[in-house]
Amino acid sequence: MFTQNDYRSSIKPIFCPGCGDYGVLAALTKAMLDLQLDPDNTVLVSGIGCSSSIPHDLKVYGIHGIHGRLLPVAEGVKFANKKLTVIGAGGDGDGYGIGLNHLIHAIRRNVDITYIVMDNEIYGLTTGQASPTSLMGHKTKTSPFGVIEKPINPIALALAAGATYVARGFSGEPNHLAMLIENGIKHKGFALIDVQSPCVSFNELNTYDWFRKRIYKLEESGHDPSSFAKAMEKAVEFDLDNSKFPIGLFYEKEGNTYEELDKAEQQGAIADTPFPTGSDVLKVLEEES
Amino acid sequence: MESVSVRIGGANGDGIDSAGMMLARIFKKLGYWIFAFRGYQSVIRGGVVWYQVRLANEKLYTYGNEVDILVALTKEAIEESMSLVKAGGLLVYDSALPNTAGRQEIKMLPLPLTELAIKAGGSIYRNTVAIGAICKLLGIDSNAAKDILLARFKKNPDVLESNSKAFDLGYGSLGDEKRGIIKLPEPGNAGKYLLNGNTALAIGAYAAGCKFYAAYPMTPASSIMEWFAKHEELGVFFKQTEDEIAAINMVIGASSAGVRAMCGTSGGGFSLMVEALGLAGMIEVPIVVVESQRTGPSTGLPTKTEQGDLLFVTHASQGDFPRIVLAPRSVEECFYLGAKAFNLAEKYQCPVIVLLDLFLSEHIESVDIDPGKVSIDRGKIQKEPIKDFKRYQITEDGISPRSIPGTKGLAFVAASDEHDEYGNLISDVLVGMPEYAELRKKMHEKRLRKLETMLKNNDIELPMVINEGAEIFIVTFGSSTESSTEALELLKERGINAGLIAFSYLHPMDSEKIKKILEGKRLVDVECNATGQLAKLIAMNTGIIIKDKVLRYDGEAITSKEIADGVEKYFRGV
Repeated sequence: MFTQNDYRSSIKPIFCPGCGDYGVLAALTKAMLDLQLDPDNTVLVSGIGCSSSIPHDLKVYGIHGIHGRLLPVAEGVKFANKKLTVIGAGGDGDGYGIGLNHLIHAIRRNVDITYIVMDNEIYGLTTGQASPTSLMGHKTKTSPFGVIEKPINPIALALAAGATYVARGFSGEPNHLAMLIENGIKHKGFALIDVQSPCVSFNELNTYDWFRKRIYKLEESGHDPSSFAKAMEKAVEFDLDNSKFPIGLFYEKEGNTYEELDKAEQQGAIADTPFPTGSDVLKVLEEES
Repeated sequence: MESVSVRIGGANGDGIDSAGMMLARIFKKLGYWIFAFRGYQSVIRGGVVWYQVRLANEKLYTYGNEVDILVALTKEAIEESMSLVKAGGLLVYDSALPNTAGRQEIKMLPLPLTELAIKAGGSIYRNTVAIGAICKLLGIDSNAAKDILLARFKKNPDVLESNSKAFDLGYGSLGDEKRGIIKLPEPGNAGKYLLNGNTALAIGAYAAGCKFYAAYPMTPASSIMEWFAKHEELGVFFKQTEDEIAAINMVIGASSAGVRAMCGTSGGGFSLMVEALGLAGMIEVPIVVVESQRTGPSTGLPTKTEQGDLLFVTHASQGDFPRIVLAPRSVEECFYLGAKAFNLAEKYQCPVIVLLDLFLSEHIESVDIDPGKVSIDRGKIQKEPIKDFKRYQITEDGISPRSIPGTKGLAFVAASDEHDEYGNLISDVLVGMPEYAELRKKMHEKRLRKLETMLKNNDIELPMVINEGAEIFIVTFGSSTESSTEALELLKERGINAGLIAFSYLHPMDSEKIKKILEGKRLVDVECNATGQLAKLIAMNTGIIIKDKVLRYDGEAITSKEIADGVEKYFRGV
């Protein structure tokens, strides 16, 4: 039986007091605890940014890589040893800006990893530049007259790319978020959990209050997460008029994972397959010549 | 050395490649050593392509400076290659071609290649008609040749029938007086396998337990990924990725999870990998990166060779971190260094770059390979739980114990930020405090100490030296080694006692030992790039300046004749 102590490290998080990412850390810890995940069989991969420091706050295996590349690293871990639980965690700049290409392809592959994006609509660690999800008109250090490009809609984008689990959470609702993460980890295939996670230091627009006034839960509104059309309808509510938008599970469906379809993976975890013998190599050489 | 070279030229889409490969297979079966190379272009139809196959009864080092038989399917192919036909050699060409001007000293042999091919089933069989004619000219028994040729088409009876007919028509198009007019040497005890550098490298990696290959298509590295794609039944995972950034990051993930992993690309793709190369250096994850160079800068000449990325790969990415750079000197070494790279990567927990180039990746050689020579050393892997596990422990040799996810009680975070011995960051709230400034130095020195350790352990091999007592030495590396070896023979014929110093381990360099090897010798630098990058690297490491250089950078591999001419010029001081 694993307890809270088996998951939380003694490192003090670098998050500012009041940062939304505390909520994500709490929710992730709760999800792991509820699922009784073995921390030694769990790999948490992150990129660069405030939120990407999260592996240090937990006692799991962590890879705190470079900006925007956490997904390929996480995929590499999963493809190498599919017995491990692999979770990715990073920010909106990391996942929807510099690393967006990888997100679309990870979704296409339906690799069995859970990806949590702590989306604060701002570049926090670099002290307040516009991010790919900053709203039109948002005044930041790099958009002093207001942002003039449309924000990425990660939910609609993930649905369009064929994602099999798409959810949005809110740091101010850690229990609801923990449920989304837990189900995301249980989901066979790629799970995207976009978390609206306020930056209290550099985003004066998208505050806790701003979110609380606007969000409602899909689970309480009779949404059917098995319907792609309904999911898309809900996803674009944010674009139509962000005076009201949902959190919760937009969409979930069964599908083959990359690991299930790949010829090498079908033979077992790659990490476990034996090294070739000399005669195996000779056979390959003969065939080649 | 007695050798025979055959070159077949035509347009893209004429099946020149498969004809060349087929000739190589036929010659191999007869017991000859083979060296073959092709010239091609970045187009799918048209243009000029050629394939040159050389055979001998002893080991060959080049595909030959001249040819005995040139078979040309197009006018352009005649123009491109006719000057290569040696005096007394043959130019076989399609008699349908207009106004073919010849050369006095070579024999012209027009044959109705297209007409015969159409009789056999279509003009696409011109290449097989040509094979038939070549076999006749070389006096090869038609049944022996056809056995090998037709084995390829067993699954497709129609194609088999047409190819059989095309071969017979080609063979029969020449009278018996032409049989064997080009004399073959007696067959010898040739190398068992016919491989190009990329395939040898892929099989070497497989032999070493590489079970993960990720790449994005890029000439001339793509055939490595195609090999892995074809062999997933061996339990080796292959992933074609969205870009090279994903490829190297996946490899870092896979290796972190304990699987020997490799990615491969050319210079352009390597440029994209550079940031992650530093990540592997910082978090001390063993990875193998293949960089098969082509003519740069930028897109350059995508189907042509160069050794222009040496200084790039030895220095790529920000900051100082240990890496190893290997440049195989032959197809055989592609196998052995492809395997060795994984031991070095895991022993020293750092990136190992294997530097090939288009010429080495794509030319074919007869090789003998003994998989028994491949040994496995996985380095310091901590498997049992220990108290106070320090993944990045400061050690005398700079190498720390590594744990693999899934191992009980040894979890840690691998961080691209500067970190302490446990992997905890010292880059944010602690940075700048005197104690942590000191720790940063210690961690940095720990990593860099691995470079000294690998030299101390003699894991970085010194260059091969041929003819220690020579009067003048060629200094070269990687794929220019074989033509340099052959140049020694040419120089000997010209009365020059030349030697060779050829590097396959380029980084790190043991300055003192290399200095001792080079000092007091007359040196000529031979490389396929415009600025003499090896000479620069040597100067940087040893202070020895090699002024005399023979460089080629038009996209072709440097030939033994060019090397011999260049060295002779310096030797005679003219």
